[in-house]
Amino acid sequence: MSALQRVFPWVVGALALVYVVLIAAKPEHTGEHWREYARIPVCADGRVKPLDTFARNSMMQLSARQAVRTDGRTESATEWIVELMSAPSKAGARNVFRIDHPDVVAMLGVADAKRTRFSFSEVEPKINEVFRQAELAEQTSAKTRDPFQREVIQLANRLSLYIRIARMETPLMIAPVNPGEEWRPLADVVQNPALANQESAAAVISILQARATSDAARADTEAEAYNTLLRAKIPHILDTAEHETLFNRVEPFYQSSVLYVLAFVLACFALLARQGSAGGWFTAFNRATLAAIAVAFLVHSVGIAARIYLQGRPPVTNLYSSAVFIGWACVPLALVGEWFYRFGFGTLAASLIGFATLVVAHNLSSGGDTMEMMQAVLDSNFWLATHVVVITIGYSATVLAGFLAIAYILGGVLTPLLRGEPVKTLPRMIYGVICFASITSFVGTVLGGIWADQSWGRFWGWDPKENGAALIVAWNILILHARWGGMVKDRGVAAMAVFGNAVTAWSWFGTNMLGVGLHSYGFMDSAVFWLVSFCVAQLAVMAVALVPIPRWRSLQPAITPPETAPRVVVRPA
Amino acid sequence: VNVIKGAFQAMASLRLTVLLLALSMVLILAGTLAQVNEGVWSVVDRYFRSPFVLIPFQLFIPEKIARIPGVLPFPGGLTLGVLLFFNLTAAHFTRFKMSWKRSGIILSHAGVMLLLVGEFVTGAMADEGNMTIDEGASSNYVEDTRTTELVVVERAAGGDDLVIAVPQGHLERAARAGAPISHALLPFGITVDEWMPNSRILGPMRASDAQRKKADSGAGAQVAAVPAPIATGVNGAEVDSPSAYVTFSSAGTKVGTYLVSLYFDRPQPVMVNGKQYDVELRFKRTYKPYTLHLIDFRHDKFVGTDKPRNFSSLVRLMDPARHTDREVLIYMNTPLRYAGDTLYQSAFKQGDTGTILQVVTNPGWLIPYISCALVTLGLLVHFGIRLSGSIRRRTA
Repeated sequence: MSALQRVFPWVVGALALVYVVLIAAKPEHTGEHWREYARIPVCADGRVKPLDTFARNSMMQLSARQAVRTDGRTESATEWIVELMSAPSKAGARNVFRIDHPDVVAMLGVADAKRTRFSFSEVEPKINEVFRQAELAEQTSAKTRDPFQREVIQLANRLSLYIRIARMETPLMIAPVNPGEEWRPLADVVQNPALANQESAAAVISILQARATSDAARADTEAEAYNTLLRAKIPHILDTAEHETLFNRVEPFYQSSVLYVLAFVLACFALLARQGSAGGWFTAFNRATLAAIAVAFLVHSVGIAARIYLQGRPPVTNLYSSAVFIGWACVPLALVGEWFYRFGFGTLAASLIGFATLVVAHNLSSGGDTMEMMQAVLDSNFWLATHVVVITIGYSATVLAGFLAIAYILGGVLTPLLRGEPVKTLPRMIYGVICFASITSFVGTVLGGIWADQSWGRFWGWDPKENGAALIVAWNILILHARWGGMVKDRGVAAMAVFGNAVTAWSWFGTNMLGVGLHSYGFMDSAVFWLVSFCVAQLAVMAVALVPIPRWRSLQPAITPPETAPRVVVRPA
Repeated sequence: VNVIKGAFQAMASLRLTVLLLALSMVLILAGTLAQVNEGVWSVVDRYFRSPFVLIPFQLFIPEKIARIPGVLPFPGGLTLGVLLFFNLTAAHFTRFKMSWKRSGIILSHAGVMLLLVGEFVTGAMADEGNMTIDEGASSNYVEDTRTTELVVVERAAGGDDLVIAVPQGHLERAARAGAPISHALLPFGITVDEWMPNSRILGPMRASDAQRKKADSGAGAQVAAVPAPIATGVNGAEVDSPSAYVTFSSAGTKVGTYLVSLYFDRPQPVMVNGKQYDVELRFKRTYKPYTLHLIDFRHDKFVGTDKPRNFSSLVRLMDPARHTDREVLIYMNTPLRYAGDTLYQSAFKQGDTGTILQVVTNPGWLIPYISCALVTLGLLVHFGIRLSGSIRRRTA
């Protein structure tokens, strides 16, 4: 290996680290003083969180973004929410309502209808009509609503949220600083004027009044003073709120998904180098991939650890966190495979799955606070930590086997990349991962049954989610028995493992889509489309596996010129 | 002899295992999809605990895309479970020799067999119901919210009331056949004019004259019941609320047509031969040897929301026959196990005025625990042996 090839992975790793450090230290684009507002603790949906989190989540719900862009100027979510509370008429001009359906836009009678985001002052003249239409739409069952009806209900919900914030009914802004006090909304001051004398209430009111009179400097000082007060009275709450704003600003899952993409590109180069004669470059790129994944995984882990710390819960508490965790669990699994066989496919799968699951998670986050409080029956750290974590690892392993199998089938049939060792070792790796997936998905499912028995006396109730888990276990076990019985060999196992992806997608998301109305937020509508597309894609890959073995490009002998010219032997007659 | 041996070997074959697993997956998928339109209990009975099921093709394709008539005859969960059981047993008799290398497989297969047995025992013997207790009151019976009964109560001054219960199955059959129900203990004959598995009640203002005229006596003279779609499995905790129009007659003369419904919260008086009987459609009751008295129900919510944070019921458990009289706190994930029953905090009455406990009687509840331990241990042993072998090969 040349010196360059030896140094290259280190350079990649160092650059990735520098990127992360720069992001973490990145200043607030709207000015440092906004940090004081961002960290003010509030309470919403039963959870104490910084104003920043509430603002971002509300913004996501209103406009599917975390910032407001009006006439080329970008405002942070915190800036927007403070403006909405202190100067609602100014905030009314911000384009925060996302509306996609042309008929709903037409209903508003807005001239410039090419936008997808509209301001409150544009919607306000038709607000009664919006609520009337939403009420009409609510009368049809969730399953039969057309896109217009769904959109108009969504708009009505968004308007309600907006109005509740403007009226200061949510979030609860008055922090309890004395014994016996509870979180209360500022709106309570109207009925109970004496409440305005409570320290937190007085402080928040004077901050908002200063901003209302455009006295930014005084408002900044007031905000700082308020946080100083809270630091003295409720230090742990302020600390957590501060850490959560840092978590929001750094966006560790976004940063790690960027790094996984980098790793994926490097892994592709590694495979190409492996193909050419540049053996040294294969190792160099493969190690560089490993370095990028290591940094991505580190950031990913820090993000998960931060959520555990902020929430005081095991890592998986809802669909969003399951997506984050599945990717996280797949990466080390894939790297173990890579350590066994060292041919660049483990790193390829790790980076791809890491990225893909984080994209899925991002799309799942538009429903609101991703650190929502748990329903009472789920409120058990022990079972969340055992059942949910183990079953999620089982899902991860099934997906990993599926992705490796896709690499095996597409790489083997269409490219010569697997020629030689990989075409023998990749199936072994797939088989090993399926074994692991069988154990973890079985144990996870069983732990779920035990939890159910402890909670409501039914080990197994045949409900959709349980059935989904059973399908995954059954499929993994089926693959193993088919292989042990000699019914399938490498190619068959791979094709079946690909189908495991479809089974997992069904259990993970499909079962949630059955009860329309339970999850009637926007994502699940488009999710049905993605789920079906994903399953069709898996079937397509399985169809590719039907190509007879001799036609697989990776299994055709390389055409090499004979080493010596054929000798002509002249036999004596 | 050869035929028997051949059949035995076919029964033991791995191909059969794979086939049965594949069929089970199709059945599970169909049984999941069926819950979109059907209650989970009826699906469990029809798909998973029956020998045979007819699966409509329409289940797999949304009606929006295409309407497909026809059904697929398919083995039910009982058939598949029994076949898997015999497949495993046969495999162990024909193929497997006892050896350390095989110990993991044998353990986990024994666990799987036990799991199948456990589900069979649960299906055959488990029973569950709800016990609803108001704060400050007591209860000694559970209600099965999946089925109802029509009761005729003869009040006895100072003694035990005589309660005659007609199970829902009888009412449904009588409605289909149009034949009256009579019994030596019943003071009058019952004809079921209309049976609604799930229903809505229309108040005096909303019911049409024709709807109100269906009943000529009792509460049904003012209000009407109309059929409603049955609760489906995917919507979780929904429960069907049946109603029925029934005509009572004594010695050939009609006493009156009544509307009986789960929506009515008190029995209706029926006068026959100068004697008063109370008639009521209610969830099927099973009486327990013990009594629970609800001292206090707590329902904590997350601050500023309606999301429940915790429920708990402080009860006094009384069972004179077993000399038991003690206080117990039942809360989420912490049930009370007593006298073969397990009592769970399940729900609460509106306004937090009372608690709803789920009471489960399942003699086989321990089986899944044992079987799962066996399978897990077996898999770990098996793959552990394999993995160590593979690592040894690599290092060699």
